[in-house]
Amino acid sequence: MTQIIVHPSDELPIYRQIMRQIMEAIAGGRLGQGDKLTSHRDLAEQLVVAPLTVKKAYDELELLGYVETQRGRGTFVCSRLPKIKRAEQRARLQAAARKLLSEAYVGGSSFEEVEEILREADREISGGSLTSAGGRRDKEKS
Amino acid sequence: MSPILEFAGIARSYKKGVPVLNGVTFSVEPGEVVGLLGRNGAGKTTLIRIAMGMLHPQAGSVRAFGISPFEDPVAVKKRIGYAAEDQVLPGFSSIAEITAFHRYLFPDWDLTWERQLLERFNLDPAARIHKLSKGQARQVALLCAICHRPELLILDEPGGGLDPAARREFLEASIQLLNREGSAILFSSHHMSDVERIGGRVVLLEGGKVFLDRPLDALRENLCVALVPKASVADAAVLEHEAGCLRARSAGEDWHAVFEGAADTVSRQLTASMGSNNIRCVQVPLEELFIELLGGQR
Repeated sequence: MTQIIVHPSDELPIYRQIMRQIMEAIAGGRLGQGDKLTSHRDLAEQLVVAPLTVKKAYDELELLGYVETQRGRGTFVCSRLPKIKRAEQRARLQAAARKLLSEAYVGGSSFEEVEEILREADREISGGSLTSAGGRRDKEKS
Repeated sequence: MSPILEFAGIARSYKKGVPVLNGVTFSVEPGEVVGLLGRNGAGKTTLIRIAMGMLHPQAGSVRAFGISPFEDPVAVKKRIGYAAEDQVLPGFSSIAEITAFHRYLFPDWDLTWERQLLERFNLDPAARIHKLSKGQARQVALLCAICHRPELLILDEPGGGLDPAARREFLEASIQLLNREGSAILFSSHHMSDVERIGGRVVLLEGGKVFLDRPLDALRENLCVALVPKASVADAAVLEHEAGCLRARSAGEDWHAVFEGAADTVSRQLTASMGSNNIRCVQVPLEELFIELLGGQR
């Protein structure tokens, strides 16, 4: 599937770390619509975390409409991804932006530096192979 | 479904009048992983020994699979795997002799898995126990605890004294057991990162009782630590009277208080009631939470 790492001492619980990384992989196109996720048991052994923790991450992603589980076949990225409510999305991003900027200013970085860092992060999330048009992009089928 | 393991009102003291356990009640459901936490001397090992039928409680009852380990120890032990930090394996036996003995005891012994684990742990079956390192001896003990595919695995400080790589291998093998058999696990540990990795639920012992019993994620997401400047509150007791406060203690120039609720909600609550703008609430990893709940004043 995609590389996932978990840190037990992160401020997010492990199931949320897994969710976030899968959502990032979908947003960045590294996981395409219809792609199959590693089974929760296999991923649990890979990450050395409890199988129920991975299952919880998958269940939550399913509730949010990112993946669907087909009995006996496995878990797949949904072919129609959910539309996030614009207002909620914007509020979350604003909070994250304030946190990012205060961290930057306390450490003496300028707004321009933050801008540059955001562009770099965009290139990384998109795996370098995609345009910088912004927003969610579908994985290119070749 | 009935619980796999059930403690009801367990009490036990060693010295008269000084209870180690004083009414401990909780249960472990099928497929659940329960991390048993508490400071040194909180009674974790005592409770585990009672579950194994190695120590009688002075009050209360314990049942595994609905059976008392004191009434029918064989029936219970067949279905439990157990490994402890201070476990002693016979020193002059070889690993092969010990596993052969376990194969004889347990008809369901999984020979293929035994071989896989020996290979994974890089153990030579001909090696004698007293020649092994501490970590290797523990790996043999773990192998003996899981290869009969028990429905319940009980581990007392599985990581104690092991290096990080050996601890990881220990966790990997436990996760394989969860995956293959859907077994339940009860383990005590001081390694909070291990608890975060495999724990589903946390039971915290303090003062001879269950102080907290919650799903790990709920603990992480629904508890926060408030950092309150000492200038704005006279005393930790004032904080402990606030709704939702589990414990407050002195920490340098601040009071640290553990609260029920999300960080921003608690922050608003305290700002309103204390009239201070300098209160910060944060979500913290399990290790910090443990220290805030059970640590001393400083």
